[in-house]
Amino acid sequence: MFAVSLAAGALGALAGVGGGILIIPALTILFGVDIRLAIGASIVSVIATSSGAAAAYVRDRLTNLRIGMFLEIATTSGAVAGALLGAVVAPAFLYVLLGVVLLLSAGMQVARLGEELPPSRAPSDLATRLALGDSYPDRRLGRDVSYAPQRIPLGLALMALAGMVSGVTAAASAGIYIARGDVDVRIASPVALGVLAGAYLGARLLGRLSNTAVRRIFVPVLAAVGIETILRGLGVGL
Amino acid sequence: VTADRFRLAVSWVLTIGVTVSAVLIALGFAGSLVVGWGGSLLGEPGADTVIADFDGLIAGLAALRPQAIAQFGVVILVATPILRVMTSLVGFALERDRLYVAITAFVLAILLGSALLIR
Repeated sequence: MFAVSLAAGALGALAGVGGGILIIPALTILFGVDIRLAIGASIVSVIATSSGAAAAYVRDRLTNLRIGMFLEIATTSGAVAGALLGAVVAPAFLYVLLGVVLLLSAGMQVARLGEELPPSRAPSDLATRLALGDSYPDRRLGRDVSYAPQRIPLGLALMALAGMVSGVTAAASAGIYIARGDVDVRIASPVALGVLAGAYLGARLLGRLSNTAVRRIFVPVLAAVGIETILRGLGVGL
Repeated sequence: VTADRFRLAVSWVLTIGVTVSAVLIALGFAGSLVVGWGGSLLGEPGADTVIADFDGLIAGLAALRPQAIAQFGVVILVATPILRVMTSLVGFALERDRLYVAITAFVLAILLGSALLIR
């Protein structure tokens, strides 16, 4: 269980997603864990992967704190809206929509395989006003590379959608799961320790990989998560 | 320089939160191998129920139950991202970036508000 969690954590740190989503089928199929407890453990693993990896990414200037905080407006309000609208909007619709968006963005990443530098262009007006542009240290090139975010409203919309999906399913609130007793430490402990170790290793690896190599890892994970999300929306649970 | 210290502070909060929770979870896990998850390192009678409330957690910690120690680690892990947002709020305030102080305060209010709604 520790080994599987280690792999999930490393992959989650590298791809930015997937740590938790890989944990659920691994626990239920490989270890026969009850789905409720598997989801509880996966919530913990999502927080472990993201916090563990973010500690390194923030330190190494790979995380843009302003972009992150700005997008969190959309994810947190989306989650609250999702929780409130859960009875009105069909969750199945949101699931399928998010799954399609994930598959589309996997496709866009395929088109950018081989691209090692962000395109040089002017930031959009909104990005300038929000001071979202910055640079990151590229270890392979040995210099700072600047980037200029664009299409900010689209980014906000996608984050709101992702937030709504987690809000509808209450996946956003780890507290709910703990209060309900779904986070069983007998399962969550080896998973959290494995995922933390994996996230640490994955985060150390990311800076050494080329952008193309990261995309080669990211695309299949994104596609798998997209397909799983659509299937869940259509009522095919894993 | 301030921007660098801001980044390092956020990174530190995340590192400390993750490390403390990992140590507690590992201690709980190690303890479970000795006395079992429901046991007590102080030799108190076994309790096999899953800890789901704050009082149970405190009582379990007082009896050094592996389950409570690991559960406390999980609680710290869950609280770490919220501490991270609080650190960002202080950081943006020190940078005198009013726009991002407002943005961060909004996010923090939603996070804390939804945490209270669970009760």
